[in-house]
Amino acid sequence: MSAPPVAASDAPRVLEGPALLAGLGGGPGLAAHRRQHGELPGVGTDDLLAALGRLRVRGRGGAAFPFETKLRTVAGRRRPVLVVNLSEGEPASAKDCALATARPHLVLDGVDATAAALGAREVHVVLPGERPRVTSAVRAALAERPVRRRTVVHTADSRFVAGQARAALELIAGRPNLPVTSWTPEAVSGHRGRPTLLSNAETWAQVGLLVLRGERGYAALGTADEPGTTLVTLSAATPTVLEVPFGTPWRDVLPTSWAGRPVLVGGFHGSWVSWEELAAGTVSVDAMRAAGTPLGAGVLICPEEPPAAYTARLVGYLAGQSAGRCGPCRHGLPALAAAVGTGDQERTTELARLVTGRGACAHPDGTARLVRSLARLRVAS
Amino acid sequence: MTARLRVDWPACRARGLCHELLPELVDLDEWGYPIVGGEVTPDLLADARAAVRMCPRLALRLEEPRPL
Repeated sequence: MSAPPVAASDAPRVLEGPALLAGLGGGPGLAAHRRQHGELPGVGTDDLLAALGRLRVRGRGGAAFPFETKLRTVAGRRRPVLVVNLSEGEPASAKDCALATARPHLVLDGVDATAAALGAREVHVVLPGERPRVTSAVRAALAERPVRRRTVVHTADSRFVAGQARAALELIAGRPNLPVTSWTPEAVSGHRGRPTLLSNAETWAQVGLLVLRGERGYAALGTADEPGTTLVTLSAATPTVLEVPFGTPWRDVLPTSWAGRPVLVGGFHGSWVSWEELAAGTVSVDAMRAAGTPLGAGVLICPEEPPAAYTARLVGYLAGQSAGRCGPCRHGLPALAAAVGTGDQERTTELARLVTGRGACAHPDGTARLVRSLARLRVAS
Repeated sequence: MTARLRVDWPACRARGLCHELLPELVDLDEWGYPIVGGEVTPDLLADARAAVRMCPRLALRLEEPRPL
Protein backbone atom coordinates (compact mmCIF):
# COMPACT_ATOMS: atom_id res chain seq x y z
CA MET A 1 0.00 0.00 0.00
CA SER A 2 1.55 3.29 -1.03
CA ALA A 3 2.09 6.11 1.43
CA PRO A 4 0.17 9.37 1.14
CA PRO A 5 2.07 12.13 -0.71
CA VAL A 6 1.55 14.23 2.41
CA ALA A 7 1.65 12.63 5.86
CA ALA A 8 -0.96 13.55 8.48
CA SER A 9 0.30 16.18 10.90
CA ASP A 10 -0.91 16.87 14.42
CA ALA A 11 1.27 19.95 14.85
CA PRO A 12 0.26 22.47 12.17
CA ARG A 13 1.27 26.11 12.25
CA VAL A 14 -1.94 27.87 13.30
CA LEU A 15 -2.20 31.54 12.42
CA GLU A 16 -4.19 34.08 14.42
CA GLY A 17 -7.55 34.68 12.74
CA PRO A 18 -10.47 37.09 12.99
CA ALA A 19 -13.08 34.86 14.67
CA LEU A 20 -12.58 31.10 15.19
CA LEU A 21 -8.85 31.51 15.54
CA ALA A 22 -8.88 34.83 17.43
CA GLY A 23 -7.01 35.22 20.71
CA LEU A 24 -4.71 32.21 20.28
CA GLY A 25 -2.30 33.75 22.81
CA GLY A 26 -4.75 32.93 25.61
CA GLY A 27 -4.21 29.20 25.09
CA PRO A 28 -6.81 26.43 24.69
CA GLY A 29 -8.08 26.36 28.30
CA LEU A 30 -11.70 26.84 29.36
CA ALA A 31 -11.01 29.85 31.62
CA ALA A 32 -9.33 31.81 28.80
CA HIS A 33 -12.13 30.77 26.44
CA ARG A 34 -14.79 32.11 28.82
CA ARG A 35 -12.84 35.36 29.35
CA GLN A 36 -12.73 35.81 25.58
CA HIS A 37 -16.25 34.76 24.62
CA GLY A 38 -18.27 34.89 27.85
CA GLU A 39 -20.68 32.26 29.15
CA LEU A 40 -22.53 30.15 26.61
CA PRO A 41 -26.04 31.62 26.28
CA GLY A 42 -29.04 29.34 25.92
CA VAL A 43 -30.67 29.30 22.50
CA GLY A 44 -33.94 27.85 21.27
CA THR A 45 -34.05 25.51 18.28
CA ASP A 46 -36.28 27.85 16.26
CA ASP A 47 -33.98 30.85 16.77
CA LEU A 48 -30.93 28.76 16.01
CA LEU A 49 -32.52 27.38 12.82
CA ALA A 50 -33.51 30.85 11.65
CA ALA A 51 -30.03 32.28 12.22
CA LEU A 52 -28.31 29.29 10.59
CA GLY A 53 -30.56 29.68 7.56
CA ARG A 54 -29.99 33.40 7.19
CA LEU A 55 -26.24 33.03 7.65
CA ARG A 56 -26.13 30.04 5.27
CA VAL A 57 -23.93 28.05 7.62
CA ARG A 58 -22.83 24.97 5.74
CA GLY A 59 -20.97 21.80 6.70
CA ARG A 60 -17.19 22.11 6.64
CA GLY A 61 -16.36 18.46 6.12
CA GLY A 62 -16.25 18.93 2.35
CA ALA A 63 -19.80 18.59 1.04
CA ALA A 64 -20.98 22.06 2.22
CA PHE A 65 -24.41 20.69 3.10
CA PRO A 66 -26.63 23.32 4.80
CA PHE A 67 -26.40 22.73 8.55
CA GLU A 68 -29.87 24.21 9.00
CA THR A 69 -31.40 21.40 6.90
CA LYS A 70 -29.69 18.74 9.01
CA LEU A 71 -30.69 20.38 12.26
CA ARG A 72 -34.28 20.86 11.12
CA THR A 73 -34.53 17.17 10.21
CA VAL A 74 -33.17 16.08 13.59
CA ALA A 75 -35.22 18.64 15.54
CA GLY A 76 -38.53 17.14 14.47
CA ARG A 77 -37.60 13.68 15.79
CA ARG A 78 -37.28 11.91 19.12
CA ARG A 79 -34.10 11.13 21.07
CA PRO A 80 -31.49 12.75 18.85
CA VAL A 81 -27.79 11.85 18.99
CA LEU A 82 -24.99 14.34 18.25
CA VAL A 83 -21.65 13.37 16.72
CA VAL A 84 -18.53 15.52 16.52
CA ASN A 85 -16.40 14.22 13.70
CA LEU A 86 -12.77 15.09 14.40
CA SER A 87 -11.36 12.10 12.53
CA GLU A 88 -9.92 14.19 9.66
CA GLY A 89 -9.17 11.19 7.45
CA GLU A 90 -7.56 13.34 4.79
CA PRO A 91 -3.85 13.45 5.72
CA ALA A 92 -3.27 16.83 4.03
CA SER A 93 -5.94 18.55 6.13
CA ALA A 94 -5.07 19.91 9.57
CA LYS A 95 -7.87 22.35 10.35
CA ASP A 96 -9.84 20.09 12.68
CA CYS A 97 -6.55 19.31 14.38
CA ALA A 98 -5.91 23.06 14.71
CA LEU A 99 -9.34 23.60 16.27
CA ALA A 100 -8.96 20.66 18.64
CA THR A 101 -5.57 21.78 19.89
CA ALA A 102 -6.09 25.57 19.87
CA ARG A 103 -9.86 26.13 20.16
CA PRO A 104 -11.50 22.96 21.54
CA HIS A 105 -14.09 24.82 23.65
CA LEU A 106 -15.49 26.61 20.63
CA VAL A 107 -16.24 23.20 19.10
CA LEU A 108 -17.70 21.88 22.35
CA ASP A 109 -19.78 25.05 22.89
CA GLY A 110 -21.36 24.48 19.47
CA VAL A 111 -22.22 20.94 20.50
CA ASP A 112 -23.47 21.95 23.97
CA ALA A 113 -25.69 24.77 22.69
CA THR A 114 -27.24 22.50 20.03
CA ALA A 115 -27.66 19.56 22.40
CA ALA A 116 -29.35 21.81 24.97
CA ALA A 117 -31.67 23.24 22.31
CA LEU A 118 -32.62 19.78 21.08
CA GLY A 119 -32.74 18.15 24.48
CA ALA A 120 -30.18 15.62 23.26
CA ARG A 121 -28.75 13.40 25.97
CA GLU A 122 -26.04 11.61 24.02
CA VAL A 123 -22.91 12.95 22.29
CA HIS A 124 -20.22 10.97 20.48
CA VAL A 125 -16.78 12.36 19.69
CA VAL A 126 -14.78 10.66 16.93
CA LEU A 127 -11.03 11.26 17.24
CA PRO A 128 -8.36 10.66 14.60
CA GLY A 129 -6.29 7.51 14.84
CA GLU A 130 -2.95 8.99 13.95
CA ARG A 131 -2.91 12.45 15.50
CA PRO A 132 -2.21 11.86 19.19
CA ARG A 133 -2.08 15.56 20.08
CA VAL A 134 -5.72 15.89 19.02
CA THR A 135 -6.74 13.04 21.29
CA SER A 136 -5.00 14.50 24.34
CA ALA A 137 -6.28 18.03 23.61
CA VAL A 138 -9.90 16.92 23.28
CA ARG A 139 -9.75 14.70 26.36
CA ALA A 140 -8.26 17.59 28.36
CA ALA A 141 -10.96 19.98 27.11
CA LEU A 142 -13.76 17.53 27.94
CA ALA A 143 -12.33 17.04 31.44
CA GLU A 144 -12.52 20.82 32.06
CA ARG A 145 -16.22 21.03 31.33
CA PRO A 146 -19.14 20.03 33.53
CA VAL A 147 -20.67 16.73 32.40
CA ARG A 148 -24.15 17.57 31.13
CA ARG A 149 -24.86 14.49 29.05
CA ARG A 150 -23.51 11.09 28.13
CA THR A 151 -20.35 11.73 26.09
CA VAL A 152 -18.55 8.83 24.45
CA VAL A 153 -15.14 9.16 22.81
CA HIS A 154 -14.12 6.90 19.90
CA THR A 155 -10.89 6.61 17.92
CA ALA A 156 -11.13 6.25 14.15
CA ASP A 157 -8.84 4.05 12.10
CA SER A 158 -5.97 5.67 10.22
CA ARG A 159 -7.67 5.28 6.89
CA PHE A 160 -8.74 7.86 4.34
CA VAL A 161 -12.38 6.72 4.29
CA ALA A 162 -12.67 6.20 8.08
CA GLY A 163 -14.03 9.70 8.62
CA GLN A 164 -16.91 9.34 6.17
CA ALA A 165 -20.23 9.84 7.97
CA ARG A 166 -21.53 6.26 7.76
CA ALA A 167 -18.07 4.86 8.54
CA ALA A 168 -18.01 7.01 11.69
CA LEU A 169 -21.46 5.70 12.68
CA GLU A 170 -20.24 2.13 12.15
CA LEU A 171 -17.33 2.85 14.49
CA ILE A 172 -19.69 4.28 17.11
CA ALA A 173 -21.85 1.18 16.81
CA GLY A 174 -18.81 -1.04 17.46
CA ARG A 175 -18.51 -2.40 13.95
CA PRO A 176 -15.54 -2.04 11.55
CA ASN A 177 -14.85 1.65 10.82
CA LEU A 178 -15.76 1.40 7.12
CA PRO A 179 -18.43 3.00 4.92
CA VAL A 180 -21.71 1.16 4.42
CA THR A 181 -24.67 1.94 2.18
CA SER A 182 -26.82 4.76 3.48
CA TRP A 183 -30.48 4.14 2.65
CA THR A 184 -31.72 7.10 4.68
CA PRO A 185 -30.02 10.33 5.79
CA GLU A 186 -28.25 10.07 9.16
CA ALA A 187 -30.41 12.95 10.38
CA VAL A 188 -33.45 10.68 9.92
CA SER A 189 -31.97 7.35 10.96
CA GLY A 190 -28.38 7.22 12.13
CA HIS A 191 -26.88 5.72 15.28
CA ARG A 192 -29.16 2.84 16.39
CA GLY A 193 -31.82 4.18 14.05
CA ARG A 194 -32.03 7.42 15.98
CA PRO A 195 -31.90 10.88 14.36
CA THR A 196 -28.21 11.75 14.29
CA LEU A 197 -26.65 15.15 13.80
CA LEU A 198 -23.14 14.33 12.63
CA SER A 199 -20.86 17.19 11.69
CA ASN A 200 -17.26 18.03 11.25
CA ALA A 201 -15.41 19.86 14.04
CA GLU A 202 -15.23 23.15 12.14
CA THR A 203 -18.99 23.10 11.56
CA TRP A 204 -19.57 22.73 15.32
CA ALA A 205 -17.08 25.52 16.01
CA GLN A 206 -18.97 27.79 13.59
CA VAL A 207 -22.20 27.01 15.46
CA GLY A 208 -20.43 27.74 18.75
CA LEU A 209 -19.18 31.05 17.43
CA LEU A 210 -22.67 31.98 16.20
CA VAL A 211 -24.22 31.27 19.60
CA LEU A 212 -21.47 33.12 21.47
CA ARG A 213 -21.23 36.16 19.20
CA GLY A 214 -24.81 36.40 18.02
CA GLU A 215 -26.01 36.67 14.46
CA ARG A 216 -24.76 40.22 13.91
CA GLY A 217 -21.35 39.48 15.33
CA TYR A 218 -21.09 36.40 13.10
CA ALA A 219 -22.14 38.33 9.98
CA ALA A 220 -19.62 41.13 10.62
CA LEU A 221 -17.15 39.11 8.55
CA GLY A 222 -17.54 37.67 5.08
CA THR A 223 -19.98 38.79 2.39
CA ALA A 224 -23.74 39.33 2.39
CA ASP A 225 -24.24 36.07 0.46
CA GLU A 226 -21.69 34.09 2.41
CA PRO A 227 -21.29 35.51 5.91
CA GLY A 228 -18.49 34.45 8.20
CA THR A 229 -15.16 32.78 7.70
CA THR A 230 -13.72 29.44 6.72
CA LEU A 231 -10.59 27.51 7.69
CA VAL A 232 -7.98 26.76 5.07
CA THR A 233 -5.07 24.32 5.27
CA LEU A 234 -2.03 25.18 3.15
CA SER A 235 -0.45 21.77 2.83
CA ALA A 236 3.25 21.28 3.60
CA ALA A 237 5.40 19.02 5.77
CA THR A 238 4.29 21.39 8.54
CA PRO A 239 0.90 22.56 7.26
CA THR A 240 -0.41 26.06 7.91
CA VAL A 241 -3.98 26.54 9.07
CA LEU A 242 -5.53 29.96 8.67
CA GLU A 243 -8.96 31.50 8.92
CA VAL A 244 -10.21 33.51 5.96
CA PRO A 245 -13.41 35.58 5.66
CA PHE A 246 -15.53 34.58 2.66
CA GLY A 247 -14.98 36.98 -0.21
CA THR A 248 -11.24 37.35 0.40
CA PRO A 249 -9.24 37.30 -2.86
CA TRP A 250 -7.21 34.10 -3.09
CA ARG A 251 -4.28 36.25 -4.22
CA ASP A 252 -4.08 37.56 -0.64
CA VAL A 253 -4.20 34.06 0.85
CA LEU A 254 -1.81 32.05 -1.33
CA PRO A 255 1.88 32.02 -0.38
CA THR A 256 4.00 33.99 -2.86
CA SER A 257 6.21 30.91 -3.33
CA TRP A 258 3.25 29.16 -5.02
CA ALA A 259 2.96 31.77 -7.78
CA GLY A 260 2.66 30.28 -11.25
CA ARG A 261 2.29 26.65 -10.15
CA PRO A 262 -0.94 24.61 -10.41
CA VAL A 263 -2.78 24.11 -7.12
CA LEU A 264 -4.84 21.13 -6.01
CA VAL A 265 -7.91 22.69 -4.37
CA GLY A 266 -10.03 20.59 -2.02
CA GLY A 267 -7.38 18.06 -1.07
CA PHE A 268 -6.87 14.50 -2.33
CA HIS A 269 -10.45 14.39 -3.68
CA GLY A 270 -10.06 17.88 -5.07
CA SER A 271 -9.45 19.50 -8.43
CA TRP A 272 -6.42 20.98 -10.12
CA VAL A 273 -6.60 24.62 -11.00
CA SER A 274 -4.02 26.91 -12.53
CA TRP A 275 -2.51 29.45 -10.18
CA GLU A 276 -3.77 32.25 -12.43
CA GLU A 277 -7.38 31.04 -12.32
CA LEU A 278 -7.32 30.47 -8.58
CA ALA A 279 -5.59 33.79 -7.80
CA ALA A 280 -8.19 35.68 -9.86
CA GLY A 281 -11.06 34.37 -7.70
CA THR A 282 -12.25 34.76 -4.13
CA VAL A 283 -12.75 32.39 -1.21
CA SER A 284 -16.33 31.28 -1.85
CA VAL A 285 -18.20 28.00 -1.59
CA ASP A 286 -20.68 29.03 -4.29
CA ALA A 287 -18.31 30.55 -6.84
CA MET A 288 -15.75 27.77 -6.51
CA ARG A 289 -18.41 25.09 -6.84
CA ALA A 290 -19.73 26.85 -9.96
CA ALA A 291 -16.19 26.99 -11.37
CA GLY A 292 -15.88 23.20 -10.94
CA THR A 293 -13.18 23.55 -8.27
CA PRO A 294 -15.06 23.11 -4.99
CA LEU A 295 -13.34 24.29 -1.82
CA GLY A 296 -14.18 20.98 -0.12
CA ALA A 297 -12.69 20.84 3.36
CA GLY A 298 -10.41 23.78 2.53
CA VAL A 299 -7.17 21.96 1.76
CA LEU A 300 -4.81 23.50 -0.81
CA ILE A 301 -1.78 21.61 -2.08
CA CYS A 302 0.90 23.05 -4.36
CA PRO A 303 3.41 20.28 -5.02
CA GLU A 304 6.90 20.82 -6.41
CA GLU A 305 6.31 17.80 -8.65
CA PRO A 306 4.40 18.22 -11.97
CA PRO A 307 0.62 17.67 -11.55
CA ALA A 308 0.58 14.49 -13.70
CA ALA A 309 3.25 12.75 -11.63
CA TYR A 310 1.72 13.93 -8.37
CA THR A 311 -1.75 12.76 -9.44
CA ALA A 312 -0.41 9.32 -10.40
CA ARG A 313 1.15 8.96 -6.95
CA LEU A 314 -1.99 10.24 -5.29
CA VAL A 315 -4.33 7.88 -7.17
CA GLY A 316 -2.02 4.99 -6.23
CA TYR A 317 -2.40 5.98 -2.59
CA LEU A 318 -6.18 6.46 -2.88
CA ALA A 319 -6.56 3.04 -4.55
CA GLY A 320 -4.81 1.53 -1.54
CA GLN A 321 -7.17 3.41 0.78
CA SER A 322 -10.26 1.76 -0.69
CA ALA A 323 -11.99 -0.25 2.02
CA GLY A 324 -12.18 -2.97 -0.64
CA ARG A 325 -15.84 -3.64 0.07
CA CYS A 326 -17.41 -2.19 -3.05
CA GLY A 327 -16.43 -4.00 -6.24
CA PRO A 328 -16.19 -1.02 -8.61
CA CYS A 329 -13.89 0.78 -6.15
CA ARG A 330 -11.79 -2.28 -5.26
CA HIS A 331 -11.17 -3.18 -8.92
CA GLY A 332 -11.61 0.23 -10.52
CA LEU A 333 -9.25 2.37 -8.46
CA PRO A 334 -6.16 0.17 -8.97
CA ALA A 335 -6.98 0.05 -12.69
CA LEU A 336 -7.41 3.82 -12.66
CA ALA A 337 -4.07 4.24 -10.89
CA ALA A 338 -2.41 2.09 -13.57
CA ALA A 339 -4.02 4.07 -16.39
CA VAL A 340 -3.03 7.41 -14.87
CA GLY A 341 0.49 6.07 -14.28
CA THR A 342 0.97 5.04 -17.91
CA GLY A 343 -0.70 8.21 -19.20
CA ASP A 344 -3.43 6.27 -21.03
CA GLN A 345 -6.00 9.06 -21.21
CA GLU A 346 -8.74 7.15 -22.98
CA ARG A 347 -8.68 4.37 -20.40
CA THR A 348 -8.44 6.96 -17.60
CA THR A 349 -11.58 8.70 -18.82
CA GLU A 350 -13.42 5.38 -19.20
CA LEU A 351 -12.51 4.21 -15.69
CA ALA A 352 -13.27 7.58 -14.08
CA ARG A 353 -16.76 7.34 -15.54
CA LEU A 354 -17.12 3.69 -14.55
CA VAL A 355 -16.34 4.14 -10.85
CA THR A 356 -18.40 7.31 -10.32
CA GLY A 357 -21.54 6.89 -8.24
CA ARG A 358 -20.92 3.19 -7.67
CA GLY A 359 -19.92 2.84 -4.04
CA ALA A 360 -21.21 3.16 -0.50
CA CYS A 361 -19.21 6.35 -0.09
CA ALA A 362 -17.84 9.06 -2.38
CA HIS A 363 -14.27 7.74 -2.41
CA PRO A 364 -14.43 6.55 -6.04
CA ASP A 365 -16.26 9.75 -7.05
CA GLY A 366 -13.64 11.96 -5.41
CA THR A 367 -10.80 10.03 -7.01
CA ALA A 368 -12.49 10.34 -10.41
CA ARG A 369 -12.92 14.08 -9.87
CA LEU A 370 -9.20 14.40 -9.22
CA VAL A 371 -8.17 12.66 -12.45
CA ARG A 372 -10.77 14.52 -14.52
CA SER A 373 -9.46 17.83 -13.25
CA LEU A 374 -5.97 16.85 -14.39
CA ALA A 375 -7.31 16.41 -17.92
CA ARG A 376 -8.98 19.82 -17.68
CA LEU A 377 -5.75 21.41 -16.49
CA ARG A 378 -3.96 19.92 -19.52
CA VAL A 379 -6.58 21.35 -21.88
CA ALA A 380 -6.38 24.76 -20.22
CA SER A 381 -2.61 25.05 -20.38
CA MET B 1 -41.12 10.26 -9.63
CA THR B 2 -40.66 6.70 -10.81
CA ALA B 3 -39.04 3.79 -9.05
CA ARG B 4 -35.33 3.19 -9.34
CA LEU B 5 -32.95 0.37 -8.51
CA ARG B 6 -30.15 0.87 -6.04
CA VAL B 7 -27.24 -1.44 -5.35
CA ASP B 8 -25.92 -2.09 -1.85
CA TRP B 9 -22.31 -1.99 -3.06
CA PRO B 10 -20.58 -3.52 -0.04
CA ALA B 11 -23.03 -6.46 -0.24
CA CYS B 12 -22.71 -7.06 -4.00
CA ARG B 13 -20.33 -9.84 -5.06
CA ALA B 14 -20.87 -9.69 -8.80
CA ARG B 15 -23.00 -12.83 -9.05
CA GLY B 16 -24.72 -11.28 -12.07
CA LEU B 17 -28.25 -12.60 -11.56
CA CYS B 18 -29.68 -9.09 -11.79
CA HIS B 19 -28.34 -8.83 -15.32
CA GLU B 20 -29.77 -12.23 -16.23
CA LEU B 21 -33.20 -11.27 -14.93
CA LEU B 22 -33.29 -7.66 -16.06
CA PRO B 23 -30.96 -7.10 -18.99
CA GLU B 24 -33.06 -4.08 -20.02
CA LEU B 25 -31.84 -2.15 -17.01
CA VAL B 26 -28.77 -3.93 -15.70
CA ASP B 27 -25.53 -4.19 -17.60
CA LEU B 28 -22.33 -5.64 -16.16
CA ASP B 29 -18.96 -3.91 -16.01
CA GLU B 30 -15.66 -5.58 -16.88
CA TRP B 31 -15.47 -7.09 -13.37
CA GLY B 32 -19.05 -8.35 -13.41
CA TYR B 33 -20.60 -5.70 -11.19
CA PRO B 34 -23.96 -4.24 -12.20
CA ILE B 35 -24.30 -0.97 -14.08
CA VAL B 36 -27.85 0.08 -13.36
CA GLY B 37 -29.26 2.41 -15.96
CA GLY B 38 -32.46 4.32 -16.45
CA GLU B 39 -35.64 4.39 -14.47
CA VAL B 40 -37.83 1.42 -13.78
CA THR B 41 -40.77 1.95 -16.10
CA PRO B 42 -44.10 0.31 -15.14
CA ASP B 43 -43.66 -2.49 -17.71
CA LEU B 44 -40.36 -3.47 -16.08
CA LEU B 45 -41.58 -3.25 -12.51
CA ALA B 46 -42.39 -6.95 -12.15
CA ASP B 47 -39.00 -8.01 -13.53
CA ALA B 48 -37.27 -5.47 -11.31
CA ARG B 49 -39.03 -6.86 -8.25
CA ALA B 50 -37.98 -10.36 -9.29
CA ALA B 51 -34.36 -9.24 -9.63
CA VAL B 52 -34.48 -7.74 -6.14
CA ARG B 53 -36.02 -10.90 -4.71
CA MET B 54 -33.61 -13.27 -6.46
CA CYS B 55 -30.33 -11.51 -5.71
CA PRO B 56 -28.33 -14.10 -3.76
CA ARG B 57 -26.60 -11.32 -1.81
CA LEU B 58 -29.79 -9.31 -1.18
CA ALA B 59 -27.81 -6.40 -2.60
CA LEU B 60 -30.46 -4.87 -4.79
CA ARG B 61 -33.28 -2.60 -3.70
CA LEU B 62 -36.14 -1.02 -5.51
CA GLU B 63 -36.78 2.47 -4.22
CA GLU B 64 -40.37 3.28 -5.00
CA PRO B 65 -41.86 6.71 -4.52
CA ARG B 66 -43.97 6.80 -1.40
CA PRO B 67 -47.53 8.03 -1.64
CA LEU B 68 -47.74 11.43 0.02
